[in-house]
Amino acid sequence: MTLFAIGVGGTGAKCLEALTHLHACGLIDRGDGGAGRRSLGTFLVDPDQQSALLLRAQTAISRYGALRGAIADRSDRFARGDLHDYGHWSPLSNSSGAVSLDQVFPKAILTNQASGLAGLFDCLFPPEEQQADLEVGFRGRPPIGAAVMNRINLEQEAQTGQWQRMLSDIQAAAGNGEAPVIHLFGSVFGGTGASGVPSLGLLLKNWLREQNLGSVTVQASLLLPYFDFDGQGDGDTGVHAEARNFQLNTDAALQYLRASGPSCFDRVFLVGSDLKARFGFSIGGTSQSNAAHLVELLAALGAREQAPANASGYAFVLSRARQGQIGWEDIPDDEAVGAALAQGARFAVAWLNNLSLEIDAAQQVPMGTFLSGAPWARRFFSPSGAPTATSGGRPPIRDATELSLKTCIDRYAETLLQWLQQISSNVGSGFEQELFSPETLKRTSSPDNALHKVVRGKARPDRPEASDTVETIKIAMDGLPAAAISRVGMAGLADALWTLCA
Amino acid sequence: MRPSEWISLLACVIVGTLWVFLGQNALFLNVFAGWLVGPGLNLQDFLQTGSSPSFTVLWIGCLTALLIWYWHTFSRSTRSSAEVRRMRGRWWLAALLLVLFGWFSQLTFTVFRWQVTGTSPLEGGGVNYYPVPPMGWILLLVVVVLDVILLFWLPTVLASPRSHRFVVPGAVTLRGGR
Repeated sequence: MTLFAIGVGGTGAKCLEALTHLHACGLIDRGDGGAGRRSLGTFLVDPDQQSALLLRAQTAISRYGALRGAIADRSDRFARGDLHDYGHWSPLSNSSGAVSLDQVFPKAILTNQASGLAGLFDCLFPPEEQQADLEVGFRGRPPIGAAVMNRINLEQEAQTGQWQRMLSDIQAAAGNGEAPVIHLFGSVFGGTGASGVPSLGLLLKNWLREQNLGSVTVQASLLLPYFDFDGQGDGDTGVHAEARNFQLNTDAALQYLRASGPSCFDRVFLVGSDLKARFGFSIGGTSQSNAAHLVELLAALGAREQAPANASGYAFVLSRARQGQIGWEDIPDDEAVGAALAQGARFAVAWLNNLSLEIDAAQQVPMGTFLSGAPWARRFFSPSGAPTATSGGRPPIRDATELSLKTCIDRYAETLLQWLQQISSNVGSGFEQELFSPETLKRTSSPDNALHKVVRGKARPDRPEASDTVETIKIAMDGLPAAAISRVGMAGLADALWTLCA
Repeated sequence: MRPSEWISLLACVIVGTLWVFLGQNALFLNVFAGWLVGPGLNLQDFLQTGSSPSFTVLWIGCLTALLIWYWHTFSRSTRSSAEVRRMRGRWWLAALLLVLFGWFSQLTFTVFRWQVTGTSPLEGGGVNYYPVPPMGWILLLVVVVLDVILLFWLPTVLASPRSHRFVVPGAVTLRGGR
């Protein structure tokens, strides 16, 4: 099973960031046995190449990709989901360097050769929209995005670049008898997502029909308003997204979805929030660094949903049990999702704030000295500190390849921790979450031990507080029967920690 | 702490107590009497007023150190290998202090006590200390070390909680790691 996820715009990129973390936690696998492991393909669509949100999603994707590549088949449970990164594509990339609407649709040529079209162009887009620099996105104006997006020729794009790689993989997956899913993510209240998601959905559906790929499902998570801006633009920012337009854009998008939705998507998931988070105003680019939000997690979880054989319904929504609070019971498939996210959070804390620091400390002292205080390490690394015949394949703790893998784990765990910290602390005023303790989801410079506060609510492992520590995990590692440790080295250590963090 | 560790701890304390109050004296009387008896020294008197009180004080010292060790190790966990190694330094310091304390108490009850009070422990004797021969002194000092091993090292090696078991010398070989 392969899931092809396309994030459109800044919010779409944030959803892909969330989806990557869900995949790392093993949540794209449905555990349905016969279907095997699911791989995830990610593709980011955004004209704003400097977007901090895009950069953050790319960081999560590339760090997990690097980790997955370094781990390969050296673990049994940790980081087992394959990831294909198709990269980033800008809808302006085929416009010969054009950065504004009147360059995408050359105004002078239109006026000379088709004055009627030029008049229509002037009628649809006021001068400030025609001249706005689109390199920071479509400025919260779906009509601008729709005009640009609808110029995309998917048949032509399928011949080269990222589209070619992704579309040929979709064809290959469908040809292998799989039932690939294309899942689009984007907001309906901004500019890029609101215009790009339906446009790309329509283009993909048409392309699939032309290719006779009936087994491929196209679905989308559409994000309704869930944040407001703390400030607003001024005259210098030019055309920009305005929070007062969010509702209007949403109404228009939902009306379009009602009329033409099935031609774009086989089904949609609509997620938003009545209690809004507040982000600082930005027209886009590097200054647009909105923190991750729970709604993006919920949107990403839509990609896990498999259509039942006799599926009915087109649009799916979510609700929560309490007005001012969200808990695990409000999360779809909360048992599995809660357990996996709790495992991921506990792993990231235990790894970064303890075991990684321990491995660093081991570089400074003789192996024998280190082992005298850390007997667990001899289960994974050569006790003599050198590869010997008696080490049973255990590599030295100072082996360059092992340390390189450690760096990959460190980087990804840090990204995961930062994301978890953001979704648990950035919920908006008057709204609480009972999922994680944000104050524990931080990297510490000295070894930390406690894990009992990391997860809140029903997903928290049922262990006494005093024994829910990294120290307990280390002792358990030391006492594991030989058969339970099938992997050695850094990958084996991470694999054992991942298992014991459950 | 597992039930087996509680049992080990209890067994160590009982065995240690029996050794200090019964076993040692039996050994001194029946095996090493020749090493301890000096000119004019009555071994029974020495065991009653010199040796036994000093070993009783050592026994109290060891049990107190043991209680402090368990209070400390139960109330906090170790976070890293370096912390375990730092704790090992403290364990050695505690063990060394106990040995020195035991030797000092031997000196106190054999020599200092009589000199401070200006009395002689021997009837009609002219010396105000127990004239223990050199081999007797060596025996007493070695038994002090044995008592510290029995009353401090053995319980801590067998029953220290969590990672603190790795602190005690020899514990990894006896209990942890592979």
